[in-house]
Amino acid sequence: MKFRNRKPKEVEADLVLNDGVQLSRKEKFLRAFKEQSGWLFVAPAVILMLIFTAYPIVSAFINAFKQDLRMTSLGVTGQPMYNGWGFDNFVRVLKGDTGTGGANFLQCLINTLVFTFVSVPLSTLLALLISVALNSIKAVQKAYQTILFLPYLTNSLAMGAVFATFFKIVGTQSSPDTVGIVNLVLGWFGISPIDWMGLQSPAWQLGSLSIPWAKYIVVIVYEIWSGLPFKILILFSALQSVNKQYYDAARIDGASRNTILWKITAPMISPQISYLLVTGIMGGMKQYSAIIGLFDDTMGHDYDVGTIVGYIYQYLDSSYTGYAFAASLILFAIIMVITAINLRVSNKRVSY
Amino acid sequence: MRISIQHLTKIFPSRTKGGKEVHAVEDMCIEIPSGKLVGLLGPSGCGKSTTLFMLSGLENPTSGKILFDDQDVTTLAAEKRGIGLVFQNYALYPHMTVQQNIRFPLDNMRIKKEEGNARALDAARLVQIEDLMSRKPNELSGGQQQRVAIARALVKMPNVLLLDEPLSNLDARLRLQTREEIKRIQRETGITTVFVTHDQEEAMSICDIMVVMKLGVVQQIGEPQSIYDDPNNLFVANFLGTPPINIFKGRIEGGKVYVGQEAIGETSYDDREVYVGIRPEGFVYDAHGAFTLGVDHIEVMGRDKSVVALHESSTKPTVRCIIDSDVVLPHEATQLRFNIKPYKLFLFDAETEERLK
Ligand SMILES: Nc1ncnc2c1ncn2[C@@H]1O[C@H](COP(=O)(O)OP(=O)(O)O)[C@@H](O)[C@H]1O
Ligand SMILES: [Mg+2]
Repeated sequence: MKFRNRKPKEVEADLVLNDGVQLSRKEKFLRAFKEQSGWLFVAPAVILMLIFTAYPIVSAFINAFKQDLRMTSLGVTGQPMYNGWGFDNFVRVLKGDTGTGGANFLQCLINTLVFTFVSVPLSTLLALLISVALNSIKAVQKAYQTILFLPYLTNSLAMGAVFATFFKIVGTQSSPDTVGIVNLVLGWFGISPIDWMGLQSPAWQLGSLSIPWAKYIVVIVYEIWSGLPFKILILFSALQSVNKQYYDAARIDGASRNTILWKITAPMISPQISYLLVTGIMGGMKQYSAIIGLFDDTMGHDYDVGTIVGYIYQYLDSSYTGYAFAASLILFAIIMVITAINLRVSNKRVSY
Repeated sequence: MRISIQHLTKIFPSRTKGGKEVHAVEDMCIEIPSGKLVGLLGPSGCGKSTTLFMLSGLENPTSGKILFDDQDVTTLAAEKRGIGLVFQNYALYPHMTVQQNIRFPLDNMRIKKEEGNARALDAARLVQIEDLMSRKPNELSGGQQQRVAIARALVKMPNVLLLDEPLSNLDARLRLQTREEIKRIQRETGITTVFVTHDQEEAMSICDIMVVMKLGVVQQIGEPQSIYDDPNNLFVANFLGTPPINIFKGRIEGGKVYVGQEAIGETSYDDREVYVGIRPEGFVYDAHGAFTLGVDHIEVMGRDKSVVALHESSTKPTVRCIIDSDVVLPHEATQLRFNIKPYKLFLFDAETEERLK
C-alpha cells in the first residue's frame, strides 16, 4: 500500500523537476502518454458502449425518420429501401394507422402505464411492510430472508408459465375438468370461475380500445410478486442500517407503531424507497418478458395486454421496421419525462 | 417526583455460548428526593446508561424495583412513565425540522396544533433556540443539537428528566457554558433530573447529589463536597479531584502513619499495611516538615503553584502538591519537606481498599 502510494508522487516530482528544461520529443511523448494513459483503461468499456449502445441509438434515431422503410425489400445499393424523410412513422404509430394489423400503440401504452403505476407502488409498499416485519422478528430471520429472495433467482419465463397455470380456468391436460388454483380458492367464496387469461377473458370496451381487467389483474399480481424479492432485499438492508436509537427515542416520545412506521422508519429509508420507485417505474415501462411468459408472444388475445416494448419487438420482426424505431423513440421520450418528474418529486421529499 | 431505586439489577446474557454474562448494574439502591439534580458518575462501561435506560423503561431490570413517588413503575412501558430522555448523541430525527422534532412528543399525545406550537416555542425559548425552529438537525452545531434534544425532552413537561452524558460531544468551552445552562433549566423547571457523566468535575460542579459507580456497583452516594472530603474507598478517592489524589504505599505502626521511614500522621487504627492518600492541597511547606519529597519541577499557575515531586513509595509516577503562590520556596532545592493537613490525609486498608475512617 505504502509503495503504491509513493509511486505516483515520485512521477509527479520528476515532472516538476523537469519543468522549464527543454524536453526531447520522446520525453514529450512519454509525458503526454503518462498523462493521458487513463483512457487506455476505460477504452474496452467505451468501445463496447459505442458498438452496443451508441450505434443502435443513433441508428434508431435516423431510421425512425425514414418513411415507408422496408427491411425486406432491398434497393440497388443493397440497402433497405425507403421513401424520403419525415414524421410519417410517428404519425402512423400514434394514430394506430400502421396498415398491418397487429398491436395498437395506444393500447400498448395504456397497458404499460397501468401495469407500471399500479404494480410498482403496490409492490414497494408491500416490500416495505414485509421488510419491517422481517426486521422485527429475531428467530429464523435468515431463513425467511432466503425464502423471500428465492423468486429473484427464478427465470421470469418459467415464473410466467407457473402463474399461467395458477390462473387457468380449466385444469391440466390429465384432469381437464378441474379449475386452476385461483379459481378453486375463489370457488370457496362462491365466486364462479373466471377465464383469467383465455379467449373468454372479461374486458371493458372503451371505443376502439379494450380494458381486459382480468388479464390486468394477472399481470399486476405477477409483477408485484416478482418485484418483491429485490425490493425487500434493498429495504431490509436499509432498515438494518437505521440507528436503533431513533426507535428508542420514538418510544420515549410515545409514538405508536403506526407513527413510527410512517413518521420515522419510512423517512429514514426514503432514499432507498425513492430509488426503488424510480428504477421500478423505468423497468416497468420497459416490461416485456413477463407478458410473453404469461401470454405467449401474441401478448394476450390480439395483443390486448401488449406493452410498448412488445409493440416494438413485433414491428422489428415484421418488415415494417420504421414503426419499431419510431415507437422506441417515443418510449425513450416518455421514460425520460417520467424519470425527470420522479427525480424532481423525490428530491423534494427525500431531503435530509 | 421522588424516585426510589430498590435493589435494581441488570444482567445481560452472554452473546456467545459459554461466554460470560455481564452484570451491568448490581443491587443498586438510591433514594432521589423530588426536584433534585442527581449525577451518576463512573468510568465508561460501569452501567450508567443501563441504569438510565431502566429508569426510562427502555430496558427491563433483571430484578429490583423502581418507584416514582409511590407508584411501582418497574414494568410500566416507557411512554407511560412521563419521562424525558436526552440521548448521548441526541437522536434527533434527521428528516424533521427543529420545530417538528420538539413537537413530536406532543403530536403523539394528540395535542392540538396551536397549543403544540405554543408549547414547542416555550420549550425552545427555555433553551434559547427559538430562532432555529425551521432548521434541520444537520444544519445545527453540536451545542444547538443538544439544546434541541433537551427541548424535545422538556416539551411534554416530564416528571423526570434523564440526561445521558449530554455534554460529552461538546467542546471544552461549550461544555462549561452548557452545564451551567442545564443547572439553570433544572432550577427553573424544578424537574427531578438524573444526569449521567464520566467527568467528575462536571458532576461535582452541578449536582445536588452524586452517585459514584464502579463496575455496576454503587460506591458512594452523597453531596459532591462531602464525597470529596470523605471518600468511602480508594476508588472514590482516586476518581474525584483534579489534579487527582496522591497515593502512597505505607503502614501503620504504633498509632503512627509511615510512608517510607517517615511518620507523617497519626491514627488510632491497629498496625497494618495501608494506602495513604493525600490530596494535592494537603501539603504545607515547612523546612522542618515531617515528609520529604524529591523535587522534579515546579509549575507556576498564578493563583497557586504545583510542586511536581517524586517519592519511591508513590503508586503514581509523580506526586503533585499545590501550595499558595506567595509561599517562598528555597531556590533550586532538590528536596522539600512538608507537613500534611490531617483532614486531607486518608488511609485505606491495603487489602480491601476500604477507607479507615
Ligand atoms: N445490550 C447490551 N447487551 C450486552 N451487554 C451490554 C448491553 N448494553 C450494555 N452492556 C454492557 O453493560 C455494561 C454497562 O454498559 P453501559 O451502561 O452502557 O455503561 P456506561 O454508560 O456507564 O458507559 C458494559 O460492560 C456494556 O458492555
Ligand atoms: Mg453510556
